Amino acid sequence: MSKIPLPLQVNGDTHDVLIEPHWTLLHVLRGPLGLTGTKENCLEAECGVCTVLLDGKAVNSCVLLAVLCRGRDIRTIEGLGRPDQLHPLQQAFIEFGAAQCGYCTPGMLLAAKSYLDEHPNQVPEPDAVREAIAGTLCRCTGYQKIVDAIRVAAARMQESV
Amino acid sequence: MAFQVHHPESVERAIGLAGELAPDASFLAGGTDLIIQINRKRRAPRHLIALGGIGGLAGIEWRDGECVLGALTTHKTIERCADFQGQLAALAEAARVVGGHQVRNIATIGGNIVNASPAADLLPPLLALDAAVELAGPQGTRRVPIAQFLRGPGSTDRADNEILLRIAFPGLSDSGATAFLKAGRRRAMEISVVSVAAVLDLDANRRCRTARIALGAVGPVAMRAPAAERVLQGREPAEAAFAEAGRLAAEACAPISDVRASAEYRRMLIQALVPRALRHCLQRIEARS
Repeated sequence: MSKIPLPLQVNGDTHDVLIEPHWTLLHVLRGPLGLTGTKENCLEAECGVCTVLLDGKAVNSCVLLAVLCRGRDIRTIEGLGRPDQLHPLQQAFIEFGAAQCGYCTPGMLLAAKSYLDEHPNQVPEPDAVREAIAGTLCRCTGYQKIVDAIRVAAARMQESV
Repeated sequence: MAFQVHHPESVERAIGLAGELAPDASFLAGGTDLIIQINRKRRAPRHLIALGGIGGLAGIEWRDGECVLGALTTHKTIERCADFQGQLAALAEAARVVGGHQVRNIATIGGNIVNASPAADLLPPLLALDAAVELAGPQGTRRVPIAQFLRGPGSTDRADNEILLRIAFPGLSDSGATAFLKAGRRRAMEISVVSVAAVLDLDANRRCRTARIALGAVGPVAMRAPAAERVLQGREPAEAAFAEAGRLAAEACAPISDVRASAEYRRMLIQALVPRALRHCLQRIEARS
């Protein structure tokens, strides 16, 4: 099948890529764009390690066709903070040891960011955080530290507004 | 897996494409279910007709006393819609338990309906709200009550070249309330073992004026429980009547045994959850008055 040109807005930059129509956003990010921070696992929208932000909202990039992302704002873990200026969520994950093997961490951070952006100016209760990250599985099962880190990050994000 | 993706910008063009490309074409909304089905080789369309470029198919509005949901409205939009936090809470409660946030941000109500899974979470509330679907095809548009639209697992009354445009249901009277309950083996990321939706409204004498009950995952299609509804008619909304409705609903449903639960357990859940959903409705009515 012949490839089609597709401009993609990723982390603020426009990339002109040649894709096959059936390629998912996950495939394009990890392959042609070399952005391997977004992880690949179940490929059925069950585990959440492929989570990216589409127009600011967390989505499973493994079931999202790249051709549907034309003109949309895509943000991956590579676009969340910088090494010298971490996002409050990243900073809190480090402090709380919320990353264990690390495989779910990019998805976990972006799922948390999406939820906090959707519920601004509040520190969500632990149950609300657990629901917020229900679509992102940590098989190290270190959820308590993740929940704690997200709540502390939420509190700091409020203070800094 | 190899297919072409088409991006029509009007309903007419999308219908035309579906006719030209039949039977190898499939409409594409959010794709959260379709792409997985294609990956699993359960479906192999050579053409996908993306509906996202057609304007006016997403969003929720009130028109002539009806609530109208565009087919491309996402589960997240339904979950967060201000109109569904009060007496129409059943819709938000059902939308909220579908997948994770990452799925709900993409998956559409139209997709949930046309997939016609017996366990689709939005179907029981829509059935209990007497919703109808609006379809557009080469001969124009038609409206079908959702109870008639659903034919069997994965099967609906929709022709290959018909697009589901909208879902509409009449608003409740001010005193009415709704509730949705889902039983799964865990609390999130779970296909329903059973689900129950209820609509309850009381008359001036505080008797049941309207009682509508719908059940999910206990038959080939999500279904209403007419015997349970009839037994509530005109009755005092009390435990005895609710329990009877639960028993009749459990008798009327037709569950199967599968990896998630036995048929017997599903009936027990229905018998327990129907009264519970009615109790939620009653509490919501009383909290407002």
